[in-house]
Parts: sequence; C-alpha cells; structure tokens
Amino acid sequence: MGKSLSHNEFNVLLGALAKDYNIYAPARFEKQGRFSDTDIIRYRQVSQVEEIVWQAKSTYSPKEVVMPVTQTLFYFTQTEYREPETDTRPCLVFLRACDINGFASLDKIYLENGGTEDIYYKRLREKVKFILIECHTSFDNCFCVSMGANTTDNYSMAVRFGEENIQLELKDEQLAGYLDNIGQGNDFKPQFIQENKIKVNVPSVAEMPDWIYNDQMWKQYDHRCIACGRCNTTCVTCSCYTALDVLYDDNCQVGERRRVWASCHIDGFTDMAGGHGFRKENGARMRFKVFHKIYDFNKRFGKHMCVGCGRCDDNCPEYISYSNCINILNDRLKEGEKASV
Amino acid sequence: MCNNHLKPRPYRLLSIKKESFTECTFRLECDHTPVIGQFYEVSLPRVGEMPISISGIGSGWLDMTIRAVGHVSTAVHTLKPGDNIFLRGPYGNGFPMAEMEGKHIIIAAGGCGVSPIRPIIEHFYNHPEKITAMDLLFGFKDPSLVLFNQDIDRWKEKFNTIITVDQSCSTWEGKNVGLITEYVKQVKIPDFQNMEVIIVGPPIMMKFTAQEFIKHGVASERIIVSMERRMSCGVGKCGHCKVGDKYVCLDGPVFRYDQAQLLID
Amino acid sequence: MTLDLDRKKVVKNNWRVTKVRGKSALRIRIPGGHMSAKHFDLIRQIAENYGNGTVHITTRQGFELPEIPYEKIPEVNRMLYPLLQDLELAIGVQIDKPENGYPAAGTRNVAACIGNRVCPFANFDTTVLAKKIEKEIYPNDLHVKIAVTGCPNDCIKARMHDYGVIGVAEPVYDYERCIGCQACVKNCKKKVTGALAMHNGKVVRDERLCIGCGECVLQCPTSAWTRNPEKYFNLTIMGRTGKKNPRIGELFVQWATADVVVAIIKNTYKYAEKYIDKTLVKEHIGYIVDRTGYQVFRDAVLDGIELNPKARVAKHIQWGGHFYASDIFMTDQSAK
Ligand SMILES: Cc1cc2nc3c(=O)[nH]c(=O)nc-3n(C[C@H](O)[C@H](O)[C@H](O)COP(=O)(O)OP(=O)(O)OC[C@H]3O[C@@H](n4cnc5c(N)ncnc54)[C@H](O)[C@@H]3O)c2cc1C
Ligand code: SF4
Ligand code: SF4
Ligand code: SF4
Ligand code: SF4
Ligand code: SF4
Ligand code: FES
Repeated sequence: MGKSLSHNEFNVLLGALAKDYNIYAPARFEKQGRFSDTDIIRYRQVSQVEEIVWQAKSTYSPKEVVMPVTQTLFYFTQTEYREPETDTRPCLVFLRACDINGFASLDKIYLENGGTEDIYYKRLREKVKFILIECHTSFDNCFCVSMGANTTDNYSMAVRFGEENIQLELKDEQLAGYLDNIGQGNDFKPQFIQENKIKVNVPSVAEMPDWIYNDQMWKQYDHRCIACGRCNTTCVTCSCYTALDVLYDDNCQVGERRRVWASCHIDGFTDMAGGHGFRKENGARMRFKVFHKIYDFNKRFGKHMCVGCGRCDDNCPEYISYSNCINILNDRLKEGEKASV
Repeated sequence: MCNNHLKPRPYRLLSIKKESFTECTFRLECDHTPVIGQFYEVSLPRVGEMPISISGIGSGWLDMTIRAVGHVSTAVHTLKPGDNIFLRGPYGNGFPMAEMEGKHIIIAAGGCGVSPIRPIIEHFYNHPEKITAMDLLFGFKDPSLVLFNQDIDRWKEKFNTIITVDQSCSTWEGKNVGLITEYVKQVKIPDFQNMEVIIVGPPIMMKFTAQEFIKHGVASERIIVSMERRMSCGVGKCGHCKVGDKYVCLDGPVFRYDQAQLLID
Repeated sequence: MTLDLDRKKVVKNNWRVTKVRGKSALRIRIPGGHMSAKHFDLIRQIAENYGNGTVHITTRQGFELPEIPYEKIPEVNRMLYPLLQDLELAIGVQIDKPENGYPAAGTRNVAACIGNRVCPFANFDTTVLAKKIEKEIYPNDLHVKIAVTGCPNDCIKARMHDYGVIGVAEPVYDYERCIGCQACVKNCKKKVTGALAMHNGKVVRDERLCIGCGECVLQCPTSAWTRNPEKYFNLTIMGRTGKKNPRIGELFVQWATADVVVAIIKNTYKYAEKYIDKTLVKEHIGYIVDRTGYQVFRDAVLDGIELNPKARVAKHIQWGGHFYASDIFMTDQSAK
C-alpha cells in the first residue's frame, strides 16, 4: 500500500507512532563536528519530520541504536552479577538500504556466530522495525551497488522524502492502523540507486594467496594510517567490542561490567598481558580490516560484511580510501596471477 | 527468556596450590566435565575476565593454573579456599583426544603451555594402554618457573621426559639447558604416520618447535597447537581473537598446524 | 613648489613619512587579514601609477605602497574609497569623510590568523571577530595593537600584542560515547598540558590544566568530545616588541565571551584617556599600564562590565619580559 502525505500529515503520523514506538532517525547535531562550527549527523530519537536529515548521509551509522557505544552488561557486588533492566518499547529506525543490509552483517556476528545469541544485542534488535529512506542520489564515496547492498525488501515502511510531500509504502500490517485516516492513497514503491560514482571490484578469489598478506601494497598504509579507528567507529558493520569492569568511585564494593566499541585499527586491539600483540604495523591492520570486510566474513557466512556505505572513506582524516584499496587489491591479485602463470 | 552467555556463575574454590612464585593451581568444585584443551572465561567481579585453560579434570573438580601477569590474573591470587570464583564456559574445541588413541604422542610444552596439556598427560598416564608411547618435552625460563614438579616426577616413571631451562642456576647443575628446539632431535620417532605432536607455549616457541619437528620429518598436519590470542568474550562476538576467517575462541584454541599456518594475523 | 607639510596630519592619515625626501608611503589596513581578491587591482593600480610599482606586505596584515609623492596623497585617498567602503564602512566603522582616506592611525589594524574558514585547529571565525573589534575601536589615535587568533597555537602571535584574543573551546564530554581509545589523552599529554587522564576506561579532564585548545575534539573518533557551541576567548594583555621591555602578553581574562572581550577593549580607551601622559609624544598603552599598575588598569577596564559566569580574571600579573639593561651576559668577541 502506498500513500502521499504532506509534512504536516507525516508529523501527525509520527505523533501517533510515537505513542507506541521510540522513533530513531539521523538528526543534525549542530556545531558538534570535528572542526569548529561544523555539524555531524547521527542517530537519535525524533518526533518531527523537520528533525530528520534525509538530504545527507549520516556521519555515524544507525548501528548505535542496537549497539550502544557503551553498554552495561552487569551490575555487581562482590558476590553477584545482576543484569540491567532494558527499555522494552519497540523502535522504528529510519535508515537507508545499505544500512538495512548492514544490520544483516551485525546479525551474523551477534545472533549466529558460534551458535550463540548475544542477548544484549538481541533484546534491542528484535524491537527494531526498519523504515527505509529512499536515496534520491548516491552520495560521495557510496558504493552500495558494487556490494549488492543497494536494494532491500527488509523494511516495514519505505519513505521518499521531498520538499513538498512525502511518499510512503507500507509493508508491515502492524503499522497499517496508524495510516488509516492520513494522506492520499497511491501505489508508491521506493526506487533504489542503480549506479554509484565509485565502483569497487571485489576480488572473487576462493582463497587469498599467501603472498598477498605481505604484499607491498599494504606498506603505504604503515605511514599513512594514524590508527585513529574512525573507519571502524563510523562503519555500520563493525561489531567489535571490549569488556571491562569498573568500580564506582564512591563505593569500591560495587560497580559494573560494561562493553565499549573496539576497533582493529586502534593500538591494543590484539595486545595480551605481557605486551605481546599482533599486527603492530598499521598496514597490517588495514589488510586485516579489508579482508574482514570483503573476504573472511564472506568465507564464514556467505555474505560480504561491507555494504558499501562509504562512511569509512567519508571520515578518514588521512584521506585513506578503503574502496580504492579494494580496487588496488583486486589489481594486485590479477597481476600476481599473471606473474605466477 | 534466552540464555545470557556472558553471565558467569560462581564456583567454589576447593584448594590453591603454589606452583612457582607467579603461578598457582586453583582447584574448584565443578558439576560438569569439559573437553581437555577447552578454556573458561574466569571472572572476578570488579576486576574483569580472562580466558584460562583447564589444567586438570577430576570427578567433581577442575584445576586451573594461572600465572599472575596482569590485572585479573594477579587479583585471582588473592582468593582463598572457600571463596567463589566466577566462570563461564567451557569454550573452544579442545584437543582431539579420540584421534590420539593408538598412536605415539609427543608433547612439547613451554612455560604456561604445560597447564593445558597436563590433563592429556594425566589421561594417558591413567590409560597408558590407549597409546603406543609418549614423549614429553618441557621448557621453562629458569628452574624457579618449572611447573608441576611432583607430577613430572611421576610422569617420568612412565614416559620419556626431557626438561630444559633457558637460564640455569646452581640448583640445576648437570641438567638440560637451552631452548626446547635443541632437544627435538632427542625424541625418537619410529613411525611418522601413527603419531601426533602437540605443541603448546608462547607463539614464538610454537612456531620454531613446529618447524624443528617438520625438519625432522613430521608432517604439519600431524602437529597440533593451541593458539593464544587476545580475547574478551570467548563466544565469537567481540572480534579480538579473529584470525583470518577463524575465531580462536570458537574454532580453536586447538588447531592442526597446517591449518594454523593459513591463519595470518 | 617646496613641500610644506603638517607631518602629524600626514601620519594620522595613515601615510608614512619616509626616508626618501618627497615620497610618502600609503598604509592599507586589512581588518581580520582577509579580503576579497578584487582589491588587488586597486592596490596594483596605485602602486604602479603613483608609487614605485612595489608593495610591501606588513607583519600586521597591511599593505604598504612606497614612494608615492606627498602631493598625490589627496588623489590617492580618493581612489581608496572602494577599499575603505568594503573593508571599513561596510562593517560599521564610522568615517566622516571617507574620500579623505584613513581618519586615524594610532589604533592599529586588528590582525587575525586564518581562523576556522580554513584551519582545522581554529575554534572560531577570527576575521568576523576582528572586524567586530575594528568597528568598535577604529578610528582612534591611541596606540593599541590587537590580534585575534583561532586557538592557543597563536599563529598570529596575539601574545605579542597589547590585546591578544585567543579563541578557546570548552570541551564537552559525552561519557557514553567514549570508547577509551586514549587518543585524546595521549595527544593532550604530548602536545598540550596533559589535562586529560584515563579513569575506569573513560576520560577525566582537569579543568585547571585545560587551556581549551580543542585538540581533544579533533582527536576523538566517536565525537565523545565536542565543543560547547558557546564561544569563549582568553584575553592576554600588554605583549609587545620595542626598545624598552619586549614581552609576551599575560593572561588577563579566561573563558570570556566575545561580548565581554569587546567591552573590555572598548573600555581601555576611557582608561587611557584618564591616565595617559600627555607630555609624551604618544604614549603606548602598555607603558600606561606599566605606570598605573595592573590593578588600576583591571578595575578601570572591567568597570561596568558584567562578566559571563565562566569568566575568570587574573588577580595579579607577574610581568616578565626582557630588559635590555640586563644584557649582562653579553660579551664582546675579544673578551672571551
Ligand atoms: C585460550 C587461552 C587459554 C589460556 N590459558 C591460560 C592458562 O591456563 N593459564 C594462564 O596463566 N594463562 C592462560 N591464558 C592467558 C591469560 O588469558 C592471560 O594471561 C590473561 O588474560 C591476562 O589477563 P590479565 O587481566 O591479568 O591481564 P591484562 O594485561 O590486565 O589484560 C586485560 C585483558 O586483556 C585480555 N588478555 C590479556 N592477555 C591475554 C591473553 N594472553 N590471552 C587472551 N586474553 C588476554 C583479557 O581479557 C584480560 O582480562 C590463556 C589465554 C588463552 C587465549
Ligand atoms: S567498511 Fe566502509 S563502506 Fe563498508 S560498511 Fe564499513 S564504513 Fe561502510
Ligand atoms: S573490521 Fe575490525 S573492528 Fe570492524 S568488525 Fe572487523 S575486526 Fe572488528
Ligand atoms: S580512519 Fe583512516 S587513519 Fe583512521 S584508522 Fe581508519 S584508515 Fe587509519
Ligand atoms: S582542550 Fe586542549 S588542553 Fe583542554 S583537555 Fe582538550 S586537548 Fe587538553
Ligand atoms: S579520543 Fe574520544 S573515544 Fe578516545 S578516549 Fe578520548 S574521548 Fe574517549
Ligand atoms: S574472544 Fe571474542 S570473538 Fe573470540
């Protein structure tokens, strides 16, 4: 079912939905950018269409809704672990096709890997319904088409934002009631981006040859990458975390175990007691990330981790292009093949 | 209500035995039997969690031998018998015990690496009929760090046992000194097919010892190693232990060496 | 005809009495150091048609056009109009007869580093504030030098000025967003004052040590650090070069708002009026403060100003600087 709504009508719809759902959308955080007087766009709860930034790509991804940066696992005293209460209200999340596909990657790790489900993730995840934001144009650095993540039918509702009005498609019957008396009926279906400016050739090798791990192509990143981790923190599909225990300062007997996002680019990711660690060179970390995104994960789960949202390239302060790195890798593998024939 | 895999359960400490000035063996009451080579995430509320292998299995109890090297591993040493220790697990695949039966077993272990293989030795010590022979090769930094002295004395009676230390001292006179790799050639291997070599220790030690065995004619798929990686969750979520497409906490820590070689950090 | 000049009038008009007999030099001020490139056409015309075809770029963001004959001053002043219009009148500077050129020279151009139009470190748009200050204080004959800089790197060398306005950011910490990567902590320790430390996997900031440079915001990969959108400034005073006692300016007011900074600077003129030594040719503001003492200066310039709550004012100032008379360690080659 499709509908056309004015912005006012859409706000009425949001108001009605807000009674039963927490509504998350990309929103502008004014003057909170890295540089003074610049903004960032990240996810938060919204109540008005005016708060939703649909004209630009968000700086940080919607994974924050199901994977908070800091998450308490347990509260404890010396003798017991107690799980925190969770907000049980269901959520609606406005997001793009690549990000919806990104959630599928997160699901693989948190709900499938090792045959166990992470209940903290699951509790948040199962409350989420997706509202697809249709992309009008492909943004800078997007390469969703190359990753096959430009389309999806995994959404409850799809929305085409416009200055004049808003078109939507409803797929989830549970939401039908909210639309009963609003807007004009039509047969709207969202369109998907069919071509990006950036095209990535993901190598289609069954096994990476040994030599590529130490190939000179990675060396440039030894000095170019500053191991800041932005490519991981802004990525919709990076799922790593580190757990740690903290004591409350005013009472050293009680505290909590929490987890925070981790990044395989940042120092210490592989460090073990005594100081031994792996991948000391930043080029090796780049290789590890790239392989995870377009090779290792696929080998394990039959789907690429990366969805081509391009946020890693948007946010790298050193202008390191991950998408270009994949293309370099692809070329190297081809050259290598030729050389070995 | 689904199961919270991150929630540790309390286990009672039965006894604590000092092994060296940095290592103790903690015996705890246990209601289940893990596979040899598996590990647990050991938790101390307020301090943190760490992966620790099983160094002994009995009916109703488990041993863990822990070296004080950091945050949690040091704090564990303040516990007393009767206290609770928190665990979740067992995790990982464990050693292929069944595949070892009827074979010649060679174990090379360095330092802390002796603890995860201790239950293998104990198992075949109690069931020597299940294997054709066993050679033990232990390396420690110095004589004060030799673990499981009494056990080793016992094992010596049944199995060919070589102990070496990197740095000698007065009490060690007349005994083996040098890296474990130098003693590989002393192990007699009559049949290169019907055998397994198990190597556990620090990454460098495992690498060079495996290479030494390969030099002596052992196929890399006959070598078994237990890999150590930084871990946080133990259940395939945190990503720290990932190497290649494998998660050491799920697919390891025990790997055939030919497979382990494919895993490039 | 022999030249018969009122030297003081020429100088006040922002022309210089130069070493070349008969030739003056025009001084053009660029408030905030940023202007439309179109003005280069006019500057070039004047230099080529009236001067010697060269332009000197001054240290304090002006242009000086040498060797223009004194008798051409009125003509060149008239030509200057579009420049005065765009750089002074348009920002609200009051000039009675702009066709007569610059009305005063004592209060110097308000200089600024490039600021956040370009520089990633800058905490604000320096040119905008410089222009705002220019509007409030120019024209005036009192010898005051002011510079505005985007962050405590102080690229414009604001601390070498009578007033140095240093843009600072109050770092705001989102505890939940911090992943404990330590990038901000390590950087603050290495490059700044070490105001940050890790505690329980998160960061704590020592407000007393923090100088508000905003480096932590630049470092943070999760936007756990952001800048308080309210802009703050550190005001340093009485830095100077010169032949008597060159020195670096000292911190006077910290975490002040732009309004407070501008009001203090404006008040300075009242203070100077009252205390200036009129027997001297033109007493420089710094030497007035030397005579009256800091406390008298402070109370006068803060008079009637309501400080923003976050602002802190120096109780005392320990003036440093260099005294030429103390060059006792200097030795002649022969006296080794
Ligand atoms: C499968 C496996 C089995 C192990 N078995 C034993 C054993 O039987 N006996 C023993 O003494 N040690 C064992 N270790 C090493 C032990 O896990 C580390 O010494 C311990 O984690 C150090 O924790 P810490 O808090 O004291 O050190 P810190 O340096 O304070 O480390 C902080 C955290 O980092 C992680 N970490 C640090 N070092 C390691 C490491 N080497 N491996 C994995 N995670 C690490 C842990 O989560 C730890 O809590 C084993 C490691 C692995 C991976
Ligand atoms: S790796 Fe880059 S392009 Fe791929 S999902 Fe992550 S941020 Fe997006
Ligand atoms: S790329 Fe790095 S941070 Fe991201 S999921 Fe993979 S290992 Fe984790
Ligand atoms: S964002 Fe760029 S510099 Fe930072 S870790 Fe990633 S690749 Fe390296
Ligand atoms: S603003 Fe500068 S001095 Fe203050 S904490 Fe941040 S980096 Fe340190
Ligand atoms: S840089 Fe940001 S994420 Fe890293 S420790 Fe500092 S505040 Fe936390
Ligand atoms: S320890 Fe967390 S994924 Fe293996």
